[in-house]
Amino acid sequence: MALFFAVPLYVVLCVAFGTVDPLFRTSVPVWNPMQWQFTQLATVFERIVGPENFYLPPVLRTIGFVVIAVAVCLAIAFPVAYFAARHAGRHKALVLTLLVAPFWISYMMRMLAWVNLLQNDGWVNKVISLNGLLPTEQNWLAGRPTTVILGLIYGYVPYMILPLFAALDRISPSLLEAARDLGAGGFDVFRRVIVPMSLPGVAAGMLLVALPMMGDYFTNDLLSGSPGTSMIGNLINNSISTPGQSGQAAALLLIVLLVLAAPMIWYTRTIAKSEVRS
Amino acid sequence: MSDAEQPRSPLSRRRLLQATALSLPAAGLLSACARDSGGTGGSASSSGSSASPSATSLQIASPTNPVKWPISAGNEPIAAGQNPEQGGNLQLYSYADYVAPDVIASFEEKYKKYNVKVTYSTFNDSNEALAKLRGGSTPYDVYTPSYDQLGKLVLGGVIQPLQQSYVTDIGNAYAEFQNPFYDQGWQYSAPYTLYTTGIGWRTDKVSEDVGARPNPYDIFWDPKYREKLAVLDDTREAIGMTLLRNGQTDVNTGDDTILNAARDALLEMTTLTKPRVTITGYTDIPEGRLDLSQAWSGDLIAALGYLPQGVKPDVLRYWFPADGKGMVNNDLMVIPKNAPNPVLAHLFLNHLLDPAVALANFQYVGYQPPQVSLTPEKLVADGIVPANLESALVKPGYFNSGYRLLELSPETDAKWQAIWQQFKAGA
Repeated sequence: MALFFAVPLYVVLCVAFGTVDPLFRTSVPVWNPMQWQFTQLATVFERIVGPENFYLPPVLRTIGFVVIAVAVCLAIAFPVAYFAARHAGRHKALVLTLLVAPFWISYMMRMLAWVNLLQNDGWVNKVISLNGLLPTEQNWLAGRPTTVILGLIYGYVPYMILPLFAALDRISPSLLEAARDLGAGGFDVFRRVIVPMSLPGVAAGMLLVALPMMGDYFTNDLLSGSPGTSMIGNLINNSISTPGQSGQAAALLLIVLLVLAAPMIWYTRTIAKSEVRS
Repeated sequence: MSDAEQPRSPLSRRRLLQATALSLPAAGLLSACARDSGGTGGSASSSGSSASPSATSLQIASPTNPVKWPISAGNEPIAAGQNPEQGGNLQLYSYADYVAPDVIASFEEKYKKYNVKVTYSTFNDSNEALAKLRGGSTPYDVYTPSYDQLGKLVLGGVIQPLQQSYVTDIGNAYAEFQNPFYDQGWQYSAPYTLYTTGIGWRTDKVSEDVGARPNPYDIFWDPKYREKLAVLDDTREAIGMTLLRNGQTDVNTGDDTILNAARDALLEMTTLTKPRVTITGYTDIPEGRLDLSQAWSGDLIAALGYLPQGVKPDVLRYWFPADGKGMVNNDLMVIPKNAPNPVLAHLFLNHLLDPAVALANFQYVGYQPPQVSLTPEKLVADGIVPANLESALVKPGYFNSGYRLLELSPETDAKWQAIWQQFKAGA
């Protein structure tokens, strides 16, 4: 833990609070915290909340994209996980394997596959237009927010399905029988027993997909490539590849980390509490 | 697993989820660190936290201020007249697809009796390349920078001066590259490729003649092509083009008023046409993903190889100002200071200056070599470049009329990068 988390984090801090090599304009980490400078952090902060706040639109855009994508992921994952846990019977393992199998392929390959499918003469347009019968000229890859959100959903939905499946699978059938014995109808069982008992899984799934989405830059790069859909991850990635600004990338990363730490801590605390209770 | 099976203990499952959730941001941090530390390791050891002594002497070379770089003690050219390294593995470091495989094979063949091998490593952008070269842990023999990096490479002690006696074919290159302004006396560099920056399109996608517009650059602000065009993912090229569109001619300006106008124009472009920002025009234009794009001349020639079946090469067009008043630049070949095979490296530079080899390389890469014998007229007459792409060939005179993207001072560079970040943020 110390080696894989604390040490890299310290390096990021040293870069964020470090200086810039005057000739090559690469960042020079300052290892001594007494000499840390906060100019890069201030620059990034100013770009988010200052008068020239051109980092704010991508930040808001990222939050919007992630909220929508997480919601859709949940809408897709819950019925799928529910079916797999409750109705797949002895094929449960097979169903789960089939669901997860495509995700053994690397994220990049799957996004490149979508690039092919979404091209003007790709299969998506062919299906929508019923192979040319209807006039559709959908230019999916022309920097559309919808396409990027779609990429995010597809890329991360299994991380939602798996914890949900685990939560739903654990609900003992005898509990449901007990609910029915006590007069609950089908919907009542779902609403008053299944949903509350799956909430830890829902929370875990939402965190698992939301966190990587917040830092994702690859989906946007491949499926859009337009500044109109830039996300926080793109800001960081662009800064890293800009001479003299990798320190700002580190500063941006720290801000994102601090903001994301809040829901993480909340989650781990509630889980810890519920463990004590049970 | 079956229904009858007891679920695992809730404790372990929750722990597992917790651990997974915690590990995700850590993984992100790790990967970010890996990229950062590549760029900083070298600087920490070479210059510490203080300014490196050479920074103050960084000169900015320009046609009106030609620079002869110093040769420092301890970094002199290698001795003349040595044999190539026996069994040497020449490490080539360049952009992807920027050196033809045939050319590598013919080099290995030429020095077969020394059992020479060539390994080709690639980088995506020059910052990444600089970071690796400075780290020095991966020794490369030949590197292909653009000329605006040369000052840093020399003063930072990253590259070695050439032993010119090995590079006998330099006489085949345009005269101006035998004494270029960025490296008087070609002490550190041999010329590699030439390119202009213009506009590329397919006539079956864009019916108008882009070059016939009063200001062809205006096309990037024409809502008619909304979502169907792209600008180069290159700070200097995209902002430089915007400056030219605004009627400026200094593509290296540090003037705030002029730069602010360019920034406003770029942001206006985002609203009007939603451009993509990419350097893959050489496949996107021929394959029809983009109707038109800001492009390097070499992209359109390379595009010939990416046309889908049934699309004829004569649909490709490239516009560059006929009077040569556009952006025109060139790339170089240099030898890093700690090259393990310096003799072979010199011989490889010389290999690429051979007209036949240069031509073979051009046909694969699409970027034109500065060979006196390979005139644009000859390349078209010999059918190597179709007549409709003659405009994508660099004429020697362009280097007098055109605008060169010079190295910027750190202050000016910071202004350019700020504009670029704002543009790329989609603000």
